[in-house]
Amino acid sequence: MGKKIFIDFRRCIACKACEVACEMEHGEARIRVFEFPDLTSVAFNCRHCEKAPCMEVCPVNALSKDEDGAVILDPLKCIGCLMCGLACPFGVPKVDEYNKIMDKCDLCAHRRAEGKLPACVSACPTEALKYGDINDVLWAREGRIIAQLKDIGDRTNVLEAYIIR
Amino acid sequence: MAEKLVPVVCPWCSVGCRFYIVSVNGYPKKIEFDYEHDTRNHGKLCPKGVSSFQYLRHPDRLKKPLKRVGERGEGKFVEISWEEAIREIAQKLKEIREKYGPEALAFLGSERCSIEENYVLQKLARALGTNNLDYVCRMCQSTAVAGKGMVLGHPGLTNPFEDILKAKVIVLWGYNPAATNPVFFGQYIEKAILDNNATLIVVDPRKTKTAKYADIHLQPYPGTDLAVALAMLNVIITEELYDKDFVAERAEGLEELAKTVEKYTPEWAEKVSGVPAELIRKAAITFATAGTAALLTNEGVNQHANGTRTVMALTEMMVLCGYFGKEGVMSGAIPGAHNGMGAGLMGIEPDALPGKFPLHAEEHKKRIEEVWGFEIPEKPGITYVEMIDAILEGKLKALYVMGTNPAKSLPNLKKVEEAFKNIEFLVVQDIFLTETARYADIVLPAAAWFEKDGTAISFERRVQRSFKAADAPGEAKPDWEIIVMLAKELGLGEYFNYSDVDDILREINRTIPPLAGATPERLKKNLQGCMIPCPDESTETPRLFVQGFLTPNGKAQLIPVEYKEPGEVPDEEYPFWLTNYRLVGHFHTGTMSHRSKSLSKRWPEEYIEINENDAKRLGIKDGDLVKVETRRAALVLKARVTPHIREGVVAVPWHWNFNYLTKDVLDEYAKMPELKTAACRISKVEG
Repeated sequence: MGKKIFIDFRRCIACKACEVACEMEHGEARIRVFEFPDLTSVAFNCRHCEKAPCMEVCPVNALSKDEDGAVILDPLKCIGCLMCGLACPFGVPKVDEYNKIMDKCDLCAHRRAEGKLPACVSACPTEALKYGDINDVLWAREGRIIAQLKDIGDRTNVLEAYIIR
Repeated sequence: MAEKLVPVVCPWCSVGCRFYIVSVNGYPKKIEFDYEHDTRNHGKLCPKGVSSFQYLRHPDRLKKPLKRVGERGEGKFVEISWEEAIREIAQKLKEIREKYGPEALAFLGSERCSIEENYVLQKLARALGTNNLDYVCRMCQSTAVAGKGMVLGHPGLTNPFEDILKAKVIVLWGYNPAATNPVFFGQYIEKAILDNNATLIVVDPRKTKTAKYADIHLQPYPGTDLAVALAMLNVIITEELYDKDFVAERAEGLEELAKTVEKYTPEWAEKVSGVPAELIRKAAITFATAGTAALLTNEGVNQHANGTRTVMALTEMMVLCGYFGKEGVMSGAIPGAHNGMGAGLMGIEPDALPGKFPLHAEEHKKRIEEVWGFEIPEKPGITYVEMIDAILEGKLKALYVMGTNPAKSLPNLKKVEEAFKNIEFLVVQDIFLTETARYADIVLPAAAWFEKDGTAISFERRVQRSFKAADAPGEAKPDWEIIVMLAKELGLGEYFNYSDVDDILREINRTIPPLAGATPERLKKNLQGCMIPCPDESTETPRLFVQGFLTPNGKAQLIPVEYKEPGEVPDEEYPFWLTNYRLVGHFHTGTMSHRSKSLSKRWPEEYIEINENDAKRLGIKDGDLVKVETRRAALVLKARVTPHIREGVVAVPWHWNFNYLTKDVLDEYAKMPELKTAACRISKVEG
């Protein structure tokens, strides 16, 4: 499974550093921060789906997966038919009005080629955005929860008592 | 194309983030994150940092010196040569000094400029015979400097950032770092809360992005924070929650303080501030019993007519609980701009010498005079806001403004505009034609931060070097070069014999003992910089007050603090409390951020936040136009109806026109104007 950008919405403070960093790299921001009335916020970008509907419907095969698993648009093949935008359940591919073709997140292919993180992940001051393999991200969270439980257990013997029972 | 990565310090807030400018033959192409060095930001940046090169090539940049041809404030100028501009300024300054004396001259420095540039400017003012010197610290941190100075003897942030990760309780008082210092918030505060289970107490009338994480959120009316602080002191003392050993050993004045705060019970504070007494009690107990605590403040505390008193009360709370001189504690106020602390340390103040020594400190004065070769004027100068009154009274005839924008940042702007219309001679040296520059007789084009070498001091007391990454547009020059040109034209060249910023920094090393070890060589070699005081090249001071405080006897002074109301409180005619706040995407008066495409597009305009119950009562719906009126002026703004502000309070982001509404009442100790609150009335604009 390829690496993707994972979002820890607890950490997002809606500062939009990701949007601006993306805009600096690509001219337009391909990630967006959504803010909700209860002050929750979440940055959202292309999910680079394992079975990507955009790829499946593209009539000219302009969309493909690169070696890291990112769904990449080939601007020379794209005819701007909007099918990918229609098929995407998240509404991610957008029309580039100037070139009349589609535009979408490529997980900063040019940065990854240089061994760098995608710009939005690089910038995110709270590390609400993480770039990695889903299993690594899940393991990191699971590991933290286990560590916390162990810590509580060490301090109170609760865990020990629980295990014994 | 020669592409190179030039290491710079971020030009916006005072966290001291480092990154690179990718420079192509002197043209700033983009930024790149620095993950290789042990930077304070761990490579991370906020939206202002990421887009910080955008304003550099804005078409509005000043490229040639300008001379006013129209009326003051009209903004009509003609281009002139550097020779003509400098000659004219020198001639006029000499003329005014001869006719009215040196006290008719005043100079404003800038937290946007390097320590070297502020040092050179204050030296020029003093060479001309005046201490009429100030910079915007007067409007953001001066109450914190005065308050902490009286209690502890030093106003600096006490600990390195890492210590906040070990704090059990974090108190953010009048401070919303999620918007004002996102990197500091994300890399340190948020990690302490989410990863290390620190308890967060927030004191703010608004529920901010920071308050979202709070375990206890106190929402006092703006400017009544002092009541809450006094009540917390009352609880800590009466319930004997304080660190008795620490207080006995390292503080004095507990008895007097205890007697004073006896009457300031949480129930009394509830009546004044609107914060439930039980919540105040809970906050006090949580804070005092934590073991380790960080208490960070900002403009919400500082920018009030009772700001110094509030800072004193909060600092005394820290002293009582023994939260100084160890790991896992932190106390400090956070300057809003990247060199706020550095500029002040250079002596760009009316009553302080370089090194922040008092003007009358004979030993230091003598040492500095020996280095400089001329005498420092005896009489203390006047402060920032007092300069406006002095202009209107006809006492101040000439003002020289370097990289700051008083025509937008001062309170009661109509009065400021009146003063600038009537001043005899105004020079503005900046990167854009600011609101202030429109009133100037001569405007000088300065190089921006990435267009020059320079040193800045972050709020962590960290001295860092930033390097030239781009060429300045047109004929713009670094500020220090302009000041040196002017000094030479004034016949003071012998005192300003510098060929580059390293020469100036070496003189600073000689003049200011706590900075003796921050040499150009050390800073160029170590991008991480060093934490002051650094008396020699091999030392630095990560933690303050480990042994004693910097008061004359080394003990913290628990000076009794009495309650004082803010400068203006609501009444029948003006029933609402008005306050302001900052947006994550804008900086101060917007000179740069309003000209950054990516920022102005996301944070395009001002508006007014109104509590949903107040809005309902007044028939105001989200998006309606609302007239907000104070005794000074009125603005029409779009309403943003929200549950996240307390009833009776309305709030406006301050980057646009807010200061037309504020009152120029001053804090009695620090002469800080009350920028954070006013009494107002609001009404829906029909049609």
